[in-house]
Parts: sequence; C-alpha cells; structure tokens
Amino acid sequence: MSGWVLAGMRRNPGPVIGTVVAAATAATLTVAAVSVGTSHSPAPLGRLTGADVVVAGDTLLHVTVGRGAGADPESAPLPAYRGVPAGLARELARVPGAAKTTRETGFPGGTARPGTVDLIAVTADPGVSPGTLAHRIRDALPGGAGYTIATGAARGGLADPNLAIERANGQALGGAVIPFLLMAALFALAATTALSVNLRQRRFALLRAMGATRGQVRRAVLAEQAMLAVAGGLAGYLPGAALGAAGVRALVAHGMLPPGSTASPSPWLALFACAINLPVCVLSGLVAARRAARTSPAQVVREVNYERRRAHPVRVLLGLVAVASVVALNVISLHQSGPGVQAALALPLLLAGMAACALLSPVLVRAVAAAARPLRAAGPTARLALAAIRALPRRTASAVVPVAMAVGMIGAVAFSNTSIAHAADTQSARAVTAGAVLTSSRPAGSGLEPALLARAGSLPGVRAVAGVSSLQIAVTDPDLEYLGGAAISGGPLDRALNLGVESGHLNELRNGQIAVSAIEASSGVLGVHLGSRVTVYLPDGTPYTATVSAIYARSLALGDVLIPASVAAGHTGTPPGYGQILVDGAHPAQLAAVASAYPGVHVAGRQVYSAQVRQNNAQNGFGDLLILGVIAALAAVTMANTLAVATFERRRHVRLLAQVGATRRQLAGMFGWQALFVTVVGIAAGVAVCAGALAAINRAVTGSPVPYVPAGPAALIVATVAALATGTIMASLRAMSRSRA
Amino acid sequence: MTREQIEDAGRPDQAAPVQLAGVSKRFGRGRGRVTALDGVTLSFPAGSFTAVLGASGSGKSTLLQCAAGLERPSSGTVRLCGADLARLSDRQQARLRRQRIGFVFQELNLVPELTVGENIALPLRLGHRRVDRSGIERAAARVGLTPGQMRRLPSELSGGQQQRTAIARALAVRPEVIFADEPTGSLDPHTAQGVLRLLRRTADGTTVVIVTHDPQVVRFCDRAVFLGAGRVDSIVDAPEPGQVAARLHALGERANGRDA
Repeated sequence: MSGWVLAGMRRNPGPVIGTVVAAATAATLTVAAVSVGTSHSPAPLGRLTGADVVVAGDTLLHVTVGRGAGADPESAPLPAYRGVPAGLARELARVPGAAKTTRETGFPGGTARPGTVDLIAVTADPGVSPGTLAHRIRDALPGGAGYTIATGAARGGLADPNLAIERANGQALGGAVIPFLLMAALFALAATTALSVNLRQRRFALLRAMGATRGQVRRAVLAEQAMLAVAGGLAGYLPGAALGAAGVRALVAHGMLPPGSTASPSPWLALFACAINLPVCVLSGLVAARRAARTSPAQVVREVNYERRRAHPVRVLLGLVAVASVVALNVISLHQSGPGVQAALALPLLLAGMAACALLSPVLVRAVAAAARPLRAAGPTARLALAAIRALPRRTASAVVPVAMAVGMIGAVAFSNTSIAHAADTQSARAVTAGAVLTSSRPAGSGLEPALLARAGSLPGVRAVAGVSSLQIAVTDPDLEYLGGAAISGGPLDRALNLGVESGHLNELRNGQIAVSAIEASSGVLGVHLGSRVTVYLPDGTPYTATVSAIYARSLALGDVLIPASVAAGHTGTPPGYGQILVDGAHPAQLAAVASAYPGVHVAGRQVYSAQVRQNNAQNGFGDLLILGVIAALAAVTMANTLAVATFERRRHVRLLAQVGATRRQLAGMFGWQALFVTVVGIAAGVAVCAGALAAINRAVTGSPVPYVPAGPAALIVATVAALATGTIMASLRAMSRSRA
Repeated sequence: MTREQIEDAGRPDQAAPVQLAGVSKRFGRGRGRVTALDGVTLSFPAGSFTAVLGASGSGKSTLLQCAAGLERPSSGTVRLCGADLARLSDRQQARLRRQRIGFVFQELNLVPELTVGENIALPLRLGHRRVDRSGIERAAARVGLTPGQMRRLPSELSGGQQQRTAIARALAVRPEVIFADEPTGSLDPHTAQGVLRLLRRTADGTTVVIVTHDPQVVRFCDRAVFLGAGRVDSIVDAPEPGQVAARLHALGERANGRDA
C-alpha cells in the first residue's frame, strides 16, 4: 500500500506540503538548538602556551545535596580560582621529569590571598611526555583529588574559569528552547496533519467503498506521516545548522558564549531531528488516521463533505479537564510560594492552556459565531461568511488554533520578560535611598578601592555609606545553583538602602550574618527563617556558614543573598573593592573632590543604579529575545502554513460561489469577514492562554500575579499576528482565484 | 404492460445475490429526523439487470448504499452474496466488497493521484491479489481503453473514458454484483448510451443494480423498480422509456402534492 502513498504524494503534494513544512520547521529549530547547546568553545592558552602541565586547585565545587538515603553529590564549575599554596611549586619541581615550575597569578578570576597563587605551570624534561609528567604529579601531590591537573587543550580551560561558566550558560540557553520547540512542533504538526487528512476524507471513503479495511486506511496514513516526518527532518538539517551557527555568533557577540565559539552540528543531528519528528507525526497522524479509517464508505456518494457540527463529548470533556488543570495549576502556584516551583509551573500551564484552546476551539467558534449573528446585517458577504463558519466549525477552529498559539507563546515569553525587567527597574529605583552613588568606569565589578569607602564615610554630614559589589554565590536550594548576590560593607545600611526588610534588621551585616530575599528564603527553596543557619559557597568554593539576620522583599535590586564584604574578600576572584558606593548626606562638591583623587571614579545620582541594573538585565534579556525570536518564527510559519492550507481547502466552495455569480470583490469580502473572525477569536483565545501562564510566572518573580504589559509591544504583537493571519488568508485566496482563471 | 406485484417481489428468493427484507433507514434525530427508506423488501435475482428509479429524495441512493453495505440500515436485514451483512464484521464487509462487488459512481470514482491502470487494479491490490499487467489491459480493452491510456491520470481523460475506467475496475475482480449510482448522470446522452451498452454487454451473467432518474437507462434493463417516499411503489418487467417517464412523472406529482 505504501507504494501508492508515495505515488499520491508525488502526483498531488498539495495536502501534505503543510505537514512537510511544519516538520521541516520543527527539525530546523531542533537542530539549531542542539548545535547551540553543544557548541565548541576553544579556550585561548595565553601565557600557558609554554607549559606542558598546569596544576590548579579543583575548578569544581562539590556539594552533597540532601540528607540520608536521598543524598546526592553535585558539582558546578567555580567562577574563581581556589588558589594553590605558593610553596607547592618547590615540591612539583622535585617530581622526576619536571624541568621548570612557574607560579602564575593575576588571571581573571584569580585569587588575591597572600601565600597562594592561581596555578603552577610545569615544563617537562626533554623526552618526558606531558601525560607521563601529569601522572607523576598526580601521584606526588598530597591528596591529589583536590587539584585539577591539565595538559594539552584542557590547559586553556584553566586560563579563565569564567569561560567555563559562560559556556555552560550559553549552552543552557539551547537547552531551554528545546521543550518550547517540541511543544510548538507538536501543536503545529498535529494541526497540519489533522487538516491534511480531513482534506482527503472523500478519498478515504472511496478506498473504503472499494473494499479497503479500516486497518489499511490507517496504515496508509501512518506510513505517509512517517515518510513526511523523515522528509521534514532531513530537509530541516541544513537550515538548522545555518541557524545554529548564526545563533552561536549572536551569543558570542553579546558575551554569552566565549569568543571563538563555533557550532559543530553533527550529521547525526539530522537523524535526531527525524527521531523527534517521527513520534509527533505518527501520534498526531494516528488520531487523524483513526478518524480517516472511520470514514463511512457512503460518504463517497454524498454531495457535500459535511462535518459533525457538535463537538464530540470526549473532546469537550478533555477540553474541560485542560481548563480545570489551568485553574488547578494557578491555585497551586498561589499556595506554593517558591520561584522554582512557580517557574516550573509556567510551561505546564502554557501547555494546558494550549491544549484547552485546541480542544475547545470548535465549541468556541460555534459560540462566537452564534453571538456574532447581528453582524449579518452588514450585508450578504458577512451573512455568507458566518454561515460557512457555523456550518464548518472544526475547519474554522483549525485556523483559529495557530493564531491563538502564536499570540499565546509570543505573549507569554515577551511579557514575562517585560514584567521581570519592569519589576527590576521599580525595585532598584526604590531600593537605593542614598543621595549619591560613586561608580567606576573601569569594566571590572570592583573598580572602587576600599579606601574610598572610608574617605567618603568620613566626609562631614554623611549619614550612611554602603559599598556594594555583586558576586555569584552558590547555594543548595535544594539543587546546587548560583544566585546573583552582593557583598556589602559600611553602614548604617538601612539609611542607604531600602530593600523592604520583612523580618530582622539590615542596618549592618556582620561577619557570621547573611541576608536572604523573601522569595529565596521561602519553603521549597532555601527554606530558612530569621535566625536559621545556612551554608553558602563563595566564588572560589569556600563555604560560608552564617545566621540569617534579615529577610527582604526587593530581590531584583541587589540579588537574593547579601553577605559582608569582609567575608567575600579574597574569595571572589577580583581585587578587593566595590562596584558602587552609596553615599547619603554628603555635600556634592566635597564628594566630587574625593572622587577626583581616583582615576575613573565619578559621582552620579541614585538613578544611575537602576540604569546599571537594567544594563545587567539587558544581557539576560538578549537570550530571552533570541528564544522569543525563534518561537515567533515558528509560530508565524505554523500559522501561515495552516491558514494557507485551510483556505486552499475551500477551493470548491469558492468555485461554486463564483459560478452562481459572486463577484471577485464579494468573494474577497467573504474571506475578509472570515479572516477577521479567525483573527479576533484567535487573538482572544491566545490572550487567555498566555494570561494563565503569565500570572504564575509573574508571581514567581515579583510576588504579584499582574504582569507588566507595555502597550507598544502588545499592540505590535497583536498587529503583526493580525496582519500575518489576514494577509495569508487573502493571499491564498488570490492565488486560488488566479489558478482558476 | 404494467404489473403491480409488490407482494410477489417480497417473496424470498433464496438464490438472489441481493436481498432486502423490511429495510428501513432513518437519518438524524428529533425534529430533524428523516426516513429515507421505509420497510423495503426486495430481491435482485442472479444475472438480472435492474434499474431503481425515483424522484430526488425517494430514497433510491440510500437503497443502493444499504444493499451494498456502504450504510447500515436502521432496521431490517440485507443479504448480500448469501451473507447477512449485519453479522459481518467491518473487516469482513470490506473483504466482501473488494472480492465480490463492483461499484460505479456518478463521479469522483477514481483516485486522482493514481493512473488509470492503478485505479483499475485498486480492488485487487487492496485484496493483496496478484496483479498481472496483461489482465488489467484485457479488462481495459473490454471497455475500449487503449494500453497507452493506462499510464494517464484520470484528470487527463474525458468523462466517458473515466466512467469506462470505473466499469473496468468494477469488472476486474469478476464480481457477482455491480452497483452503479447514477453512472451516466454527468455524461451527455450519446456518451451515456455508449457506457450503458458497454455495461450491459460486459456484465453478462453479473447481477447489476443501477440507481438512476433517467428513463433512457431502462432500455438496457430487464426490470425497473420504482421508489416513492422510501417505499417500493411498483416493479415493471421489460420496461420502456416512454412508459417509465410517465410513471416517474406521476410519482413526482405525488411527491410534490405531499410537500405542498
């Protein structure tokens, strides 16, 4: 039977082109995401070029997460060197085969503690291979496990610990896109597959009348879907590889992947894309094939391809279950206060919303069409359009779903970003109460020397000074992860900063104390209260166990964890100093005079602080923008694809209307009304879907369910989707009338 | 001569390959309920060539669909080639259709992506039977299709040639019964005559049931069954077109009177 399936596709590819396009799009994006995720980043050797073996402190942080039977060792790359004792160089020099040892310091992320160096470079005697020497060194080292010993290309990984983290972050971005892609691909493919099978109901009825069994029809559809999945998967490889390379270049340009990173998509990825497409195509094909196989053979002699007007009760039931799960997930996110839990709920929420929308769309279409009856007064074209919609709610619904999907997905990603950025803006604007901020134009995050803090603090009239430097702090909440936080000194802090302290005091932060944001402190995350003991890890892996002395609300201004600057000093991989110094009560001229003694330092108002926060967010924002772009592209392709197929399907209808004397203008008018209907209902459904997901995402980040939706981008999304939907429908109509002529 | 013999037709003929007993078919439910067939009892004897005639909405297409197993009747029994259709599974019905039944419809008979030759071989292929090219070409030659036309697509043929292809396909399985639903409905009178003559000549020995509203069709038939409002109105042996036209007109008048 598969021979004819192929013959059918070759001779009349119309109904299956949509499926191939959808499958190829999904494959393109999958290949691109995986090639970003597996991108290769060469680490420049720098001054380690001449060294045969490099010895550093263990570059990984090892932590046991959980207790008892559930205990699980986890590790993460450290942003700073642990440092090795300077005296180790002499011991290494005594290892047989070692020619020369050099103590190396001053690397980015390097240690500043006295008596330690960042790493030790060893050259080998002639005739001794670096591998052999590395083995001997490992054997000679006391507790060899605590060190990272590198030869060859691995040496580069030791030249800058931040590169490893950058690479991990950039690659994680690729990983973050994959679930979105698969979800979108599933919906897109399911929509086009169902449509392409529905289009050929009469064909299947003929086969059934000729004596094809249900199984034969089902197998033919499945064979066809499998072939389309593979064809789409293969077709998507080259564009996917190109897109992946472009994505890597963009991430490098925005400092989210190390310079020189390249995507190296393996040809096996084509098979991988096929393997992902296959279950999606076959599963959605299976549903459509079941329907095709149930086609009554009598349908071949019926004049009209009529469809069941009332939605199937099982479909309605499943749709209501999906709606109920959207509600239930939102209720859960209300009571489960933890950003991890809530953020994890976002994707299931979006999925459940989409499923509800897809399942209930025929019901929705019927309801809206019934409500829109007064529009019939607008003329014969409106009357015809409404009649067509009411007669074929499922066909109309298959056009509404991709519009809703586009709006829902783009809206969810775009407005969770704007909400987070907006919350960060308002929080940081409120967080700084000091009248002036000292900043440095030097790029490093700690450009202000500690002495400056003391001098600013001793100016007459100064009520408070606070030195702030941001840093990465590892916590187990409950998994090992890095949080944005800050090291703080000076005082009284509550005069310079207003972080919305909920419990405890934040007028000073002493050695042995720690302040934690309310979101991070909540149960399910760190799960700490005022007075709890908690262990966090500094950038070089040093543990810091402290008592929680304050819990504050505004986590987006300085981060989720605050520790005393004296604790962080020497463990951050940067020279001692601050990123900003907040000064309250100083005379501007006197402060400016102090600043002028330090090159690159200047005085600014408190607004500059939120500007810097915004700049930091902009980098994260670019990653989100990239995801958004990919999703928007997928949604747009899917929508145009489905709408074109759905419009083309009405060829017979159009021909009939033209025969009974409908003018071209009237046909355009009728399709215009239908396009308007599809666009309005689709956008409304999409807004509902993304509202459900946004409420949970926003509550996770800001504590409030109301997202920040700027009017401009919202209008832009709606206008683009509306233009694309209407444009596709009208363009298909034009192409159709031209092919008829 | 017209002979009213409804009671006679109702008598079970055990040898007839197509038998309907008390067959009713209703569509829809509630106020929208339509009775298309209302207790029809009929049999089509082996080797007979019968026209089923009636006005639009008289239930003649539904009769054909129920008799051929394309549609399940709401009540009553249908025996096709000796089997009670209600007792056959969907799969067994499909097998019965492709091995012992041939179909010719008004249009959309052919799968547009398959060539003429592939369309003729379709029921054989569905039954996993060996398809030898010469057999197909012989079947095609019997209906006047040339070997060169075997590789054409249906859209490249005339309406008459498409119907000939459909007849060749119906004949290819050497069926016991051929059901034809308005097989000449979209053809001009001259072509229609040619197609019917062909069907009559080639279907020698096969039971043929033709549903039509065209009185000219009966010229080739042994018998005419008239339907009105879902019931058998009358049965005429050796019908003639003029007499049939008058009968159809009377039936139409009656249906219109009821509608008014």
